[in-house]
Amino acid sequence: MHSIVHKRMTAALSRCLAIAALTTLSTAAQAQSAGIAPEAKQILKASTDFLASQQRFTADTRNTLEIVLKSGQKIEFNSTGRQSIQRPNKLRAERTGDLVDQVFVYDGKSLTLSNPDQKIYAQVPAPGTLEEMLDFARTKLDIVAPAGDLIYKNAYEILLDGVTEGIVVGEAVIEGVRCDHLAFRAPELDWQIWIQQGTQPLPRKIVITTLDLPNAPQFGITVTKWDLNPTFDATTFEFKPAAGMQQIDFVPR
Amino acid sequence: MTRTGKSQAFAVAIALPLLYLAGVSPDAPAVIILLPEAHAVVGAPLTPVSAAGVARRTTRRVVVAESTATQASAANATAAQQQSATAQQQSATAQQQSATAQQQAATAQQQQAAAARPPGAPAAGAVVSALPAGCKPETKSGVEYQNCGGVYYRAAFQGNNLVYVVQ
Repeated sequence: MHSIVHKRMTAALSRCLAIAALTTLSTAAQAQSAGIAPEAKQILKASTDFLASQQRFTADTRNTLEIVLKSGQKIEFNSTGRQSIQRPNKLRAERTGDLVDQVFVYDGKSLTLSNPDQKIYAQVPAPGTLEEMLDFARTKLDIVAPAGDLIYKNAYEILLDGVTEGIVVGEAVIEGVRCDHLAFRAPELDWQIWIQQGTQPLPRKIVITTLDLPNAPQFGITVTKWDLNPTFDATTFEFKPAAGMQQIDFVPR
Repeated sequence: MTRTGKSQAFAVAIALPLLYLAGVSPDAPAVIILLPEAHAVVGAPLTPVSAAGVARRTTRRVVVAESTATQASAANATAAQQQSATAQQQSATAQQQSATAQQQAATAQQQQAAAARPPGAPAAGAVVSALPAGCKPETKSGVEYQNCGGVYYRAAFQGNNLVYVVQ
């Protein structure tokens, strides 16, 4: 008897909580339909401006990628990466993980894509600045340069292009660092970003939800370490094929 | 082709290599629907969150759908090879007897195809995301090719992905 009463109370409580949750959601939805919250814009702008002002930096990242099986089951793949950037025209990005072992090097004159495990690399002449190179890589070679969009000096405009709604979710702690948590909506994708509070508003985490695929798989990047005063040497932005590496071409687009 | 069609085609193209990589049995019935950023696996953008990103995703889908078509043609090629082998046996028998019109047609087609390339071989320039079984590396003029039953493939990057181009 006691047990039945308890269950009923629990059920009633659940209903109340559900209603409360719905109310909260509808409030959030109302907030979202108002467009992009000025505070969300402000926090994002501070972050992209800060990053644009950094001349040299490295970011160590942990990346997760979901794929969806036909059954609907999601499988997650993991990789880690290190991006080294020296403005205006040097970049090295390395990624290692379940599905990828790839090095991308840009020395201001050419870009090289290499899969060390498979002993292959391809190299082409590239434009003279990071932004031009990233545009070139994306439009001519269909290469997604790791760390791409954030590196652009106008990253803010690029990120918000097409965004219809944006809110500040609240505070969060990522990798032990206190952050502001923002959430944005654009056609076909939702994305969230966590930006470090304080004088160095660095992006600490990004999650992208792909809405136009079944079960909305996500891609996430967490920055485990930022270094704003890294030591680069002569080899950081230089590619020298290891012995036995085969040079291949890019398939023209 | 509808978007759904593309996604499914996309799925087929990626399924096998991914399953192998993932250590999942390739015999598993599950066919992977890969999200666009999967190529991000292979080319992980720090953030594809942009209009440019959306355009990129669309491109990827189209590209992979195309390579699916070539894979399908590779599959057809294998089937065609088997058929032609059967056809040869049949035509040998048929020479002793009287060949049927159908067999003659099959043989004619096969001879036509065999002029330059193996019967049913995928077209030169076709891009596949995985090699057929039984390929052997062969170096010609310092360039490494994969000889897959008489059809030569060369490794290349398509975007961030390693693919093979029919020579």
